[in-house]
Amino acid sequence: MESGIFHSSYEKDMALRHTPIEKARLALVILFLLVFPFVADNYWLNLANTIGVVAIGAIGLNILTGFTGQISLGQGAFLAVGAYTAALMSIHMGAPMWLTIPAGAITTAIIGAIFGIPSLRLKGLYLAIATLAAQEIIIWVITHWDAVTGGVDALNTKNYLWFGDDHHFFTEFQFYWIILALAALVTIASVNIFRTRIGRAFIAIRDQDIAAEVMGINLFKYKMLAFATSSFFVGLAGALIAHWRQIVTWERFTIEVSIFYLAVIIIGGLGSVSGSIYGAIFMVMLPAMLNNLGRALSGVVPGMDAIIPFIQQAVFGVVIILFLIFEPEGINKMWKNIRDYFRLWPFSY
Amino acid sequence: MKKYLVFLILMLIVALALAACGGKGGQEGPIKIGALFDLTGPTSDVGTPYANGEKGYVEWLNQKGGINGRKVELIGQDYAYKVDQAEQLYSQYVNQDKVVAFLGWGTGDTEALRGRIAQDKIPFMSASYSINLASPKEAPYNFLVGTSYSDQMVIALKWVMEDAAAKGVQPKVVVFHHDSPFGQSPVPDGQKFADENGIPYTSIAMPKGATDLTPQLTQAQEFGATHIVIQNVSSPAALLAKNAKSLGMDTQIICLNWCADELFVKLAEDASEGVVGVLPFTGDFTVPGAKDAAEFLKSKGDSLENQGLHYLQGWWTAATMIEGIKRTLDAGKDISDGANIKATFEAMKDFSTGDVTSPITFTPEDHRGSDKAKVHQVQGGKWVPITDFMQSRIPLE
Repeated sequence: MESGIFHSSYEKDMALRHTPIEKARLALVILFLLVFPFVADNYWLNLANTIGVVAIGAIGLNILTGFTGQISLGQGAFLAVGAYTAALMSIHMGAPMWLTIPAGAITTAIIGAIFGIPSLRLKGLYLAIATLAAQEIIIWVITHWDAVTGGVDALNTKNYLWFGDDHHFFTEFQFYWIILALAALVTIASVNIFRTRIGRAFIAIRDQDIAAEVMGINLFKYKMLAFATSSFFVGLAGALIAHWRQIVTWERFTIEVSIFYLAVIIIGGLGSVSGSIYGAIFMVMLPAMLNNLGRALSGVVPGMDAIIPFIQQAVFGVVIILFLIFEPEGINKMWKNIRDYFRLWPFSY
Repeated sequence: MKKYLVFLILMLIVALALAACGGKGGQEGPIKIGALFDLTGPTSDVGTPYANGEKGYVEWLNQKGGINGRKVELIGQDYAYKVDQAEQLYSQYVNQDKVVAFLGWGTGDTEALRGRIAQDKIPFMSASYSINLASPKEAPYNFLVGTSYSDQMVIALKWVMEDAAAKGVQPKVVVFHHDSPFGQSPVPDGQKFADENGIPYTSIAMPKGATDLTPQLTQAQEFGATHIVIQNVSSPAALLAKNAKSLGMDTQIICLNWCADELFVKLAEDASEGVVGVLPFTGDFTVPGAKDAAEFLKSKGDSLENQGLHYLQGWWTAATMIEGIKRTLDAGKDISDGANIKATFEAMKDFSTGDVTSPITFTPEDHRGSDKAKVHQVQGGKWVPITDFMQSRIPLE
C-alpha cells in the first residue's frame, strides 16, 4: 500500500511519468492513437483531426494565458496569420508543405511578439482589449489588403511535397498522421518548456510579475518570448488548417474563434498542457454529440424538431457553466481527482 | 462525490449520442440527401423559411409517393452558420449516411466545402449565387439554381438604364454591399457593365452592425446617385432605406436577391414602398409554381404568405436537385456515383419551375441554371413584378 509518490533520486524527480500505472496509461493512449485511424471512418477521422488542430492551438494559447498569465483575445487572428502565410506561400511560390507550415508558425511568432509589446505596460482587462485590437487589425488587414491576401475571397491552398510538384489531395487518414505527429511534438516540446528556465520564468511572471522582476527575470524579454512561443504554436495550427481544409477564408478566424479557444483552455485547465488537450476533445466532441443526440431525438417527440437546434445551443452553454461551477480548474483537475481517489482507495476521503 | 455525478451524466449523454449515430445507406431504401440549415445563426431570419421550403418539398413529394415509389430522406441539421459545424455535418452525412447529393446554405460553408465536394463527387446546391461557383473548372459539383449575384447586378443596371431614360436623367449608380465575399461578389462585374455603358458607378461597403448609415448615404449624395443598388441582407438594407427616407433622398433603391423579401418590407415599413428588387425567385404567389407549396402549407395550417418567398426558393432548390436524381434513376444509372447525377444536370434543359424562376438549364461549361430574373417593386407592401424576365449571362472567367 503506497501512501504517496516519493522521489528518491534527481532522475526520478525529473521524470515526466513517475509510476508504472502512468507509463501503462501512456502506452494505452499511444496504442489507441495508432489503431484508431484504421477502425474509424472519415467522420471520426475528421473529428479526430479537428481535435488535433484545436489541441495544438490551445496549447499555444495556454502557454500565454494559462502559464504566463497574459490574456489574449487575438487567437483567431494569429491562426489566420499562420493559415494565410502557408496558403500564400503554396499558391505564389509553389512552396512545399514542409516549408510552408514552419514558415506559417515563424511568421505568426514574429507578428505575435509585435502585438505582445503592449503587454509590458498593460495587464488583465487592459491587455485583453489590446489583444482584441490585434484581432480586429489583423482581420481588417487580411480582408482589405487585396493585392496580397486576395481580400475577402477564399484562397485555395495547394498541398505540394516539393517545389514544382502537383497538388495532392490528402485524405483525412493521411492528414491524421501529419496532425498527430505535430500534435505529439508540440505536446512534448511544451511539457519540456516548463522544466526549463524559460518556462519557470513564465510561471513566475504569472504568479507575481514584480516579484519575478526582483528575482532577476527580464520581464520584457520573457513576455515577448511567451507571446512568440505561444504564437508559434498557434501559427502552426493555422498553417495546418490551411493545408488540411485546402481553403482559407477570413470567416474562419473571427473573434468567436478567439473566445472558443479561451473556453477550451478554461474548461480543459489553465496552465496545463494535458488540460489543453482534454479541453480540445471536450469542446469539439460536445457540439458533435449534441448534434447526434438532437438527430436521434428528432421525430421521437412530435413538434420537437423546430426546438431542438435551440435546445442544443442552450445545452452547450449550460454544460460549460456547470463545468465552471463544479470544477473551475477544468477537466485536468477532475481527472487528477479521479486518479487520486482510486489510487488511495479504499482509504480515500 | 456529487461533482462526479455530473460527470457521469455527461458521459451518459455522450454514450447515448454515440449510440445514436451510425446506419448505412445502400442501393435500396430511401434516397438520402444531406442538408445544412441556419436556424439559430446570424442568417436564421431567412435561413428558417428556406430550410422549411426544402423540408416541405421533400415531405410533399413523399406524400405523393416519392421518386418512383422510393422515399426521399432529407438529412439536415442546424449549423448556426459556423464553417466548422458545416464541415462536421457534411463529413458525417457523406461518410456515414452515404447521402448522394447535398443542399447547402451560405457562402461560408459553400466555399469551404467546394474542394471537398469535388473530391467526394457530391452534387451541391446552395443559396449562395456567387459567380465563382458557376464555373465547372473551379467548382465542378456546384450548381446554381438562382441567377448569379453578378447577373442580378447587370439586370439591375439594365433596369436602371431603362428607368433613367424614362425619367430623362443621366443615371449614376452607387452600390451598397455587405463587407464579405457575398457582398463584394457582384461589385466588379457591375463596374465592368457600367463602364461599358458609360454609367458613373461606385461602391460603398456597409459596416457590420451599423445602426446608422447616414454618413455612407451622404457620400452617395455627394456622388450624385440617382440609383442605389443594395447587395446585403434585409435588416441593414431596411436601415438604409429608412435612413435615405429621413434624409429626404428621392434616389431609387434596388435590392438584389437577399434583401428583396417580405422581411425588408416589414422592417423598412413605409420606406419600402416603391423600392425595386431583382428577384430570381418570384415574390408573386399567383404563378403556377407556387400552387403546390401554398396548398401543402395550407394543409399544415400555415400559409405561403406567412413563410414568404424564401420558402419557395428552398422548395424549388430541393425540387431541382431531386429532379436531377430522378432523371438519373430513370436513365437506369447508379445515383451513388455523383458523376452520373452531374452528367444528368449538365444535360438538363428548360426544367420548368412554374414561373418561380425562368426555366432551368445547366450545361457542361456553365453551372448557372438561370440567367433571367424579373424586376419587382414593392407596391402596397407586396413584391409585384413590373417587368418580364430580363436576361444577363456575363462570361465566366
